[in-house]
Amino acid sequence: MTKALISLHDLTIRYGGPDSPAAVDGVSFEVQPGEIVALVGESGSGKSSISLAIMALLPGAAQVGGSILFDGADLARLNRRQMEDIRGARIGMIFQEPMTCLNPVLSIARQMTEGLIRHRWMSKAEARARALTALADVGIPEPARVMDSYPHELSGGMRQRVMIAAALTLDPALLLADEPTTALDVTVQAQVLELLVDIRNRTGKGVLLITHDIGAVAEIADRVVVMKGGRVVEAGSWDQVLNAPRDPYTAALIGAHAALEQALVPDPMTEGTHG
Amino acid sequence: MSDTNVLPRRLPLPAALRRWNITVGALILTVVVAAALLAPWIAPYDPFRMASGPRLSPPTAAHWFGTDELGRDLFSRVLLGARASLGIGLAAVAAGLAFGVSFGLAIAFSPARLKGFFLRIVDVIYSFPDTLLALALVAFLGPGAENATLAIAISLIPFYARVTYGLAAVERAKPYVEAAEIAGNGVPRIMRVQVLPNILQSLIVIGSIGFSSAILSAAGLSFLGLGVQPPSPEWGSILASGRNYIARAPWILIFPGVAICLTVLSFNLIGDGIRDLTDPKNRHRRA
Amino acid sequence: MLTFVARRLLTAAITILVVVFLAGVLIHLVPGDPITAMLAQSGNASAVDIARLTEQYGLDKPVWQQALLYVGNVLQGDLGTTIRGNEPVAPLLLGRLPNTIILAVAGLGTALALGIPMGVIAAVNRGRAADFAVMLIAILGVSIPGFWMGLTFIQFFSLHLGWFPVAGTSARNIVLPALTLGIVHSALVARMTRSALVDILNEDYIRTARAKGLRESEVLMVHAMRPAMISIITVVGLVFAHLLGGQVITENVFSWNGIGRLAIQAMLQRDYPLVQGFIVIFATSIVLVTTALDLLYGLLDPRVRRR
Repeated sequence: MTKALISLHDLTIRYGGPDSPAAVDGVSFEVQPGEIVALVGESGSGKSSISLAIMALLPGAAQVGGSILFDGADLARLNRRQMEDIRGARIGMIFQEPMTCLNPVLSIARQMTEGLIRHRWMSKAEARARALTALADVGIPEPARVMDSYPHELSGGMRQRVMIAAALTLDPALLLADEPTTALDVTVQAQVLELLVDIRNRTGKGVLLITHDIGAVAEIADRVVVMKGGRVVEAGSWDQVLNAPRDPYTAALIGAHAALEQALVPDPMTEGTHG
Repeated sequence: MSDTNVLPRRLPLPAALRRWNITVGALILTVVVAAALLAPWIAPYDPFRMASGPRLSPPTAAHWFGTDELGRDLFSRVLLGARASLGIGLAAVAAGLAFGVSFGLAIAFSPARLKGFFLRIVDVIYSFPDTLLALALVAFLGPGAENATLAIAISLIPFYARVTYGLAAVERAKPYVEAAEIAGNGVPRIMRVQVLPNILQSLIVIGSIGFSSAILSAAGLSFLGLGVQPPSPEWGSILASGRNYIARAPWILIFPGVAICLTVLSFNLIGDGIRDLTDPKNRHRRA
Repeated sequence: MLTFVARRLLTAAITILVVVFLAGVLIHLVPGDPITAMLAQSGNASAVDIARLTEQYGLDKPVWQQALLYVGNVLQGDLGTTIRGNEPVAPLLLGRLPNTIILAVAGLGTALALGIPMGVIAAVNRGRAADFAVMLIAILGVSIPGFWMGLTFIQFFSLHLGWFPVAGTSARNIVLPALTLGIVHSALVARMTRSALVDILNEDYIRTARAKGLRESEVLMVHAMRPAMISIITVVGLVFAHLLGGQVITENVFSWNGIGRLAIQAMLQRDYPLVQGFIVIFATSIVLVTTALDLLYGLLDPRVRRR
């Protein structure tokens, strides 16, 4: 086993006092470089809390226990300034809602370049050139036009691509994608997922993909971590989990997905990709 | 809470009193109201009698708040002033509420085309601050306590009309009102029997919010010589007649002013508390 | 964007016309015969005077015709003549306008300079002691009558400390009235800033900005304050309107030679044409400022700008 990119040990998150129920309870897993790990669970299972804990973006009241080892440091112990240097530059994050995750009153250019200016000390012109490349890399047809737009002028799929491109400009080693496709329609979903695979193949980044939709990750994840009620109920390679689920909850998740697939298309297993 | 209605039908009193701002506001208000009601019995001197003590005497055991430029007892005048201020406030709010609610209901039940026109007019008037409106009206009505009350009442109408319209429009869209309309009940009956009782509680709460504005306007008008006329004691008019003596007798400035501030503050605290209590955004904060 | 501007300008024009019309109607609130009431004030009323004033106000015509007559005159720049001294109203008021504008701008500037930082501090420290303190100051601020605060300032800063002259209209004199207006209205600004910012700080795009590793100060000053300024600008119009209302009284407290002081004198002397003129000028100022701010809002918010 190679050295893990990030490893979580016994991560516990509480939103109340020490006696309150834990939203995340003793979770441990790792992401290797070049690996796509899917963190699967229904809403409320604690999976989004984990991604926010990695970024230290949990609300102030949250209590974090355990450790998050990344690049030799425990992210759970860093102060705000140290964390600000890691966010964006070393760990990129893509959020769920492309409609609300871009600032409506700032131009795409501003939102694409500010990270470069902040972390790489680039001039505006340099940052703009780099951002244009990043937009082209995620398959945006007219990058220059998009750069000078405002978020409300773009479609949902475009905004999600902009978000991904913005996260990629800084070339982070780890990409956290929190439900990156939930708000999009089916064809765009498939395109965005393909894009993530493509990025992994080209750059060798580690990707932690957080989703409630086991079907969405079926084709692209190398490993799956299934969560329920704040605990990991199952973890393993995709084949292992899909073909021999040890936990009834996982079986139910897969069953629900298979039933849905069957209702939509005749033979889900041989269908391959969606798009 | 059922829908977009801004206020719940019933405000739970015990829960309300647990909020510090409502408790403090209610305490201050109780003192002020008690002072106003009991003024003639508690006041140690006749508030109109000159030379009750030496002129411009600082606060002493005999004159708790000192005396004014004519030797009148300031404590007695401030006590009686509470009557004038609260009286004007109450009368203005009651009259403003009555007319505002009527207009608001009428607009809510008027035909679609007229509705837009009426709302526009209300909005135009509402866009002017109520002090300015009261000032303009009293300029033409003429100075005096009654005219000032009337002017303040009129200045409150657009606010109450706007709020009532909002509440009534929501209520009107509900199935039970539609059912009553289909059943052939007349519009006045529907307003009275169906809509008004359902929005009444919210209106009373909002009415209380108008108090602070009414009392500030009353004090301001009296200070300018357009409201309560001297020698009648009212907080604004006491300040107006004492303003030339504030260098020698700052107590003439302090006591009536603090009385206004505390009264207005009590209404504002209560209003704020009620808003906290009913604003769904604040609920999560202290779950 | 063009239709947006055109619509706002049209609404503003109509609003002003409605207000002028209402100002024309207002004179009928005067109990009894307004002419008699006016002349009673100035003392010796001759039949000629009565005829002149009746003619000037068209009081022999129905109310709506008189009001329209007034609107017509105002549109030609004629606000009538004062009862006392028979001077034209328009130049009299316009001569005082600069003083009023200077004080209003100074007051509004003070209100924003105090209120916005207070609101930001409260929003950033939401639920903590600093938030509570700011909100307490804000609620005290809206509970203190401006004229009383003004008198207190005079007593303390002018009479007791001797830092400022007691009254008058000069550069040195503006400090206390501007501070009075500013403090009273900063409470409103602080509350609005706080509520706008509290909402914005919960937005997803703030989390995105933090996830980029931007410094917290940059997240606050750019990602949160830009959208917050847009909502604050919309309420500046409201604050300005309230401030003009308070200014009438403040000008009187500090003997500041503006329109408000003239207006109160006119009210006490029942000089109705002058009062009408004051209403027209103040209302027009409020409408113009509100409209200008609405247009500025359109310019700042890309969602409106590109429509």
